[in-house]
Amino acid sequence: MDDPVNMQSIYLAIVLAPLIGSLIAGLFGWKVGRSGAHWAANIGVAIAFLLSLVVFKQIILDGAPSFDGVIYTWLVSGSGLHLDVGFRVDELTAIMLVVVTFVSLMVHVYTIGYMHDDPGYNRFFCYTALFTFAMLILVMANNFLQLFFGWEAVGLISYLLIGFWFKRESANYASLKAFLANRVGDLGFLLGIAVIYKYFGSMDYSTVFKSAHAIVGQTLSVWPGTEWSVITVTCILLFIGAMGKSAQVPLHVWLPESMEGPTPISALIHAATMVTAGIFMVARMSPLFEFSETALSVVLLVGATTAFFMGLLGLVQNDIKRVVAYSTLSQLGYMTVALGVSAYAAGIFHLMTHAFFKALLFLGAGSVIVAMHHEQDMRHMGGLRKYMPITYWTVLLGSLALIGFPGSAGFFSKDAIISAVEASNIPGASIAYVAVLLGVFVTALYTFRMFFLVFHGEGRMDQHTRDHLHESPWVMTLPLIALAIPSLVAGLMWAGPVLFDHPGVFFGHAIVVLPDHDVLREMAHHWQGPLSFMVHGLMDPAFWLAMAGLAVAYVCYMVRTDLPDLAIAKLGVVYTVLVEKYGFDRFNEFFFVGGGTLLGRFLWQKDVALIDGVVVNGTANAVAWISSVVRYVQSGFLYHYAFAMILGLLCLLGWFVVA
Amino acid sequence: MESFLFYLFSTILLVAATAVITVRHTVRAALSLVLVFFTSAALWVLLEAEFLAVTLVVVYVGAVMVLFLFVVMMIDTNTTVLREGFTKYLPLGVLVAVTMAAEMFLALGSPGFGGMAAPAPHPASYNNVAELGSILYTQYVYPFELASVILLVAIIAAIALTFRRRPGTKYQDPARQVSVRRADCVRLVQMPAARKTPAP
Amino acid sequence: MTFAMLKLAAASPEVLVLVGACAILMVDVFRTQEKNTKKGAEGAVLTYWLSLILLFLGAFVTFLGFGKHTGLALNGYFLKDSLGDLLKLFIYLAAFVTFVYSRDYLRERGLLTGEFFVLALFSVLGMLVLVSASSFLTVFLGLELMSLPLYALIALDRDSATASEAAMKYFVMGAIATGMLLYGMSMLYGATGSLDLGKVSEAVRHGDQKHIVLVFGLVFMVVGVAFKLGAVPFHMWLPDVYQGSPTPVTLFLSAAPKLAAFAMLLRLFMGALEPLAVEWQQMLAILAVLSMAVGNVIAVSQTNLKRMLGYSAIAHVGFLFLGMLATNPQGYSAALFYMITYSLMSLASFGVILLLSRLGFEADRVEDCKGLGERSPWFAAVMAVVMLSMAGVPPFLGFWAKWEVLRTAVDAGHVSLALVAVAFSVIGAWYYLRVIWFMYFEKAQDTAPLVPTVGMGVLLSANALALLYLGLFPSSLMAVCVLVMGAH
Repeated sequence: MDDPVNMQSIYLAIVLAPLIGSLIAGLFGWKVGRSGAHWAANIGVAIAFLLSLVVFKQIILDGAPSFDGVIYTWLVSGSGLHLDVGFRVDELTAIMLVVVTFVSLMVHVYTIGYMHDDPGYNRFFCYTALFTFAMLILVMANNFLQLFFGWEAVGLISYLLIGFWFKRESANYASLKAFLANRVGDLGFLLGIAVIYKYFGSMDYSTVFKSAHAIVGQTLSVWPGTEWSVITVTCILLFIGAMGKSAQVPLHVWLPESMEGPTPISALIHAATMVTAGIFMVARMSPLFEFSETALSVVLLVGATTAFFMGLLGLVQNDIKRVVAYSTLSQLGYMTVALGVSAYAAGIFHLMTHAFFKALLFLGAGSVIVAMHHEQDMRHMGGLRKYMPITYWTVLLGSLALIGFPGSAGFFSKDAIISAVEASNIPGASIAYVAVLLGVFVTALYTFRMFFLVFHGEGRMDQHTRDHLHESPWVMTLPLIALAIPSLVAGLMWAGPVLFDHPGVFFGHAIVVLPDHDVLREMAHHWQGPLSFMVHGLMDPAFWLAMAGLAVAYVCYMVRTDLPDLAIAKLGVVYTVLVEKYGFDRFNEFFFVGGGTLLGRFLWQKDVALIDGVVVNGTANAVAWISSVVRYVQSGFLYHYAFAMILGLLCLLGWFVVA
Repeated sequence: MESFLFYLFSTILLVAATAVITVRHTVRAALSLVLVFFTSAALWVLLEAEFLAVTLVVVYVGAVMVLFLFVVMMIDTNTTVLREGFTKYLPLGVLVAVTMAAEMFLALGSPGFGGMAAPAPHPASYNNVAELGSILYTQYVYPFELASVILLVAIIAAIALTFRRRPGTKYQDPARQVSVRRADCVRLVQMPAARKTPAP
Repeated sequence: MTFAMLKLAAASPEVLVLVGACAILMVDVFRTQEKNTKKGAEGAVLTYWLSLILLFLGAFVTFLGFGKHTGLALNGYFLKDSLGDLLKLFIYLAAFVTFVYSRDYLRERGLLTGEFFVLALFSVLGMLVLVSASSFLTVFLGLELMSLPLYALIALDRDSATASEAAMKYFVMGAIATGMLLYGMSMLYGATGSLDLGKVSEAVRHGDQKHIVLVFGLVFMVVGVAFKLGAVPFHMWLPDVYQGSPTPVTLFLSAAPKLAAFAMLLRLFMGALEPLAVEWQQMLAILAVLSMAVGNVIAVSQTNLKRMLGYSAIAHVGFLFLGMLATNPQGYSAALFYMITYSLMSLASFGVILLLSRLGFEADRVEDCKGLGERSPWFAAVMAVVMLSMAGVPPFLGFWAKWEVLRTAVDAGHVSLALVAVAFSVIGAWYYLRVIWFMYFEKAQDTAPLVPTVGMGVLLSANALALLYLGLFPSSLMAVCVLVMGAH
């Protein structure tokens, strides 16, 4: 198996299996039928998953050397530019491969049940398998161009899938919005790549990373009179790309909108894989980011802002999928924070655990939605526990992982991030620390608000729906269970090896951290195994904040369901009820429950009005408006046309002859 | 003398050209155009291009313009409609024209197109037609052929766009007329010499 | 002067096409006698096949002589070089593809007449002449020979008011533009004393003339060229003509004459007026930005697919000019690459419109693509490939075209222009994707089955696959472009 050619064909097979599945489902769907289509896609992805496990074993367990090679040369340009398709398979890639193919496989299986009655069944499998292909290309890239190709391809497919069910009226605007928000990010990303090509003269990761230190200290002037560090400009431009794809403030607006797509898509693309591409990319670029503290600070602050403020928004949502969507935004913020403090390993680790539990939550939500006959409003749910036991228990595990309950996967990854922020001395780390801590509280609050509203309490659905409530078929519950297991144990099993046992060794050369940024190495000194980490975690503020959030949610949505509405009016009641149990003072209660809700609503409205309304819709509207006005210049009259020509001639003459 | 003639004809040419687009009456406009061609021909004579000048008069004045006048007189063009909005657009038009003129003056007004000397006049024995003929079929054979192809295309295009066989149109086919046989024209009918039933 | 001095061998493809076109014309005239028979109702099938054979032979002869007999011929009015040969090959290809795509459309509407093919063949001859022009005289004659049949072709459907209007507009505007071009040429002739492009270049380089006169003439010539290519603000005819013409004519207009007009751009500016590069570079830069802005923005609000593609053509010309701005062989070869790519994409896009249309239904609205994904997955995929390629999405050929142009522009220091281009192509991507949207996400209103003829189906598929194949392996085409421009 150490034969490089052999490995190379395995890598190729990983990428091509989903592509072939996709092509069969898409182009020959009419011939192979519905079951043929789902078998083709599922088998393709399953092959990729199994081979990814092989790669994982080779690279990580057996410590085989990483692979970096060209598969085929796309183009050799006149000026010595090589554009290749190549793979770089190292520890980082191996982890991503397993995560992507595993979640993808689970979603594919689940889709068989979820999309059962949909007329676009074959098409859907074609897209999801194609998406998997593009994501694998992105993850395995060994050069920037291929990265960009994967980047654009996943974006394009997600754009197609968001619109899978779009109603006709809103279709144009909402899709244009997602498109524009992503394009802003892509523009930054493309510029970043352009700067890299200009200064390094190469598109290959290895060449660029090797000479990264050489351009430290070089400057460029974006406009005359200003000198900016090349590496900072590059990193920030690349990060703008990551902000678009990973939905960081202020380019996050498209992600809640994307919930219009079918739920399996939300799980696959908008929770587990595509949105984490930005995180992966920054981690992959760690050899560059490490040299720019400014860029790291920007990353850190953007991440912290997203982590806290987006979580707040989750408090006021009533659509079950939107709660999970805002939670995704917040968790992406956490990963970004980890990148900002150079704890790349922790960020990737959280990416991995998050992929499991967030896919689980989305698929659980999907299971609920199907049972509720496509009702998504949590105010019309409640008491589903007794109808859907498997969904209930798996979602509970997912929720516990999300809030970072000790022992769950989320606990290890999130706690590692929070401790890393605490230990970091990057500018802005103290603010970020506060933000991520508060974020823990908010996370617990909205997660269990959702959980209680959906599964506990009185059933608020109509009689017809109630009569037809039942657990989902096995193709849907099986992936839930399969995802619940890693959500529970991934932290226990992997936190040690990935983060602390041998800091800096696990990821080999895939991730570069400068010694004075290396917070994880610092933390590793205190590491004495997962159990002691859990015990230690019990004394962390993060744990207590999470518990507080959980408890507040319990009180507000189980015990006193009138509280959320009356929170502001009856602050005294809130105060007395909560102060007895937790001893938090009145101000905090006001702030967190009442104020938090208010602030959340306020931000949400501002968000809609300002960012959606002005920035995104504004651009879309402006283009459409200008376009519709300018077309009237095209009057259809010959003499107008001739006159325009003569005016053009006059202007050119004036410009060049007279001046 | 030569420059006096040049300026004389040029002035007439410009005045006539202005008249073509300003006079109200279509026939007068066409006649002004005839004057334009005449004065251009005169200018060509000054340039020793006698053959071309003659051709211009023969072809354009003699053939094209006559045909044109013929068409103008056949079609009753309503000039008032065409002139609608003339005053409305006049200021804009004048502005554009003045700007254009100013720009042209700036560019071309000062003397010298690279200071090429005028070619020496040819002796009286110089045969314009012969020179033209020999150069047209040797040096310029390619452009000449191309021009002829363009004319061919113009013919094809004109026929393709205007020639159509309407249903019900009556026309003669000389070939069929010539090859007509007796049997086509005369039908012999056998008729009885007398009625079978006598008149009452 | 002897016959041998003409070096007629260099122009053998042109001679072949001329003789062939005349022969086909005669064949067609005599074919009319069988018009009333059953065979005649099918249209000019014989003429169609003969035209295809002629185009093939022309391409074959050109291919055999690729890069041979280079240099001036026909008393210096004809320039044979490999750049011209390459463009000619693609002109034959474009015309060939146009004929095959158009056949069904024309037959259904009773327009499958000999005139269509004969006029188109003469137009092709004009393009060949223009591509090989080495004198202002042949540039002008080639241009006229190319344009005149086009005007007639647009108006060929005499019962269509929009077609007549389009022809009228194109004709009048074209006359104005040609007038301006001629005026510019006369200025340069006056300043340099020669019509020969090489001698003009020589004279301008030595700079005995007044610079301002040269620039004055240059402006007029830029206007003439910009008109033919459809650059803003000389683009006004283009959307109306694209929309108004019968679709086969739009198809013809959108590919082959663009290649020839591009050749004119190269011959005049890269060839004769290279010493004035500083000036025309700025002019083209202005036109490029305007074209990309106007083309992309207005295309967004179009509901007519042909018109939208017209605006998209305007935007593409902006990109083409961007390649010219580098004023070095790399830039010219990038522009050449762009032009060839554009013509391939344009052929395929109008080909799909022709495929969708049938008698009484033009399929020229964006909505008419609705549900194509279900009606015919294969041809929907073809259209998707074309649209993605036009939007510049990798791995399709359109991406490489944009990439090369942007790269040379940035290398030449036009970073801001490149940024503008990228920004506008972002807007541009939107309306291309809207077509894909309609194909896959809207219900079909029209569920009639698509039954293309074998030739058209195969050729259209090959056309789209070529966009994909050349996108995956662009090196060969790129290398040819670099080779003919001498930009190693």
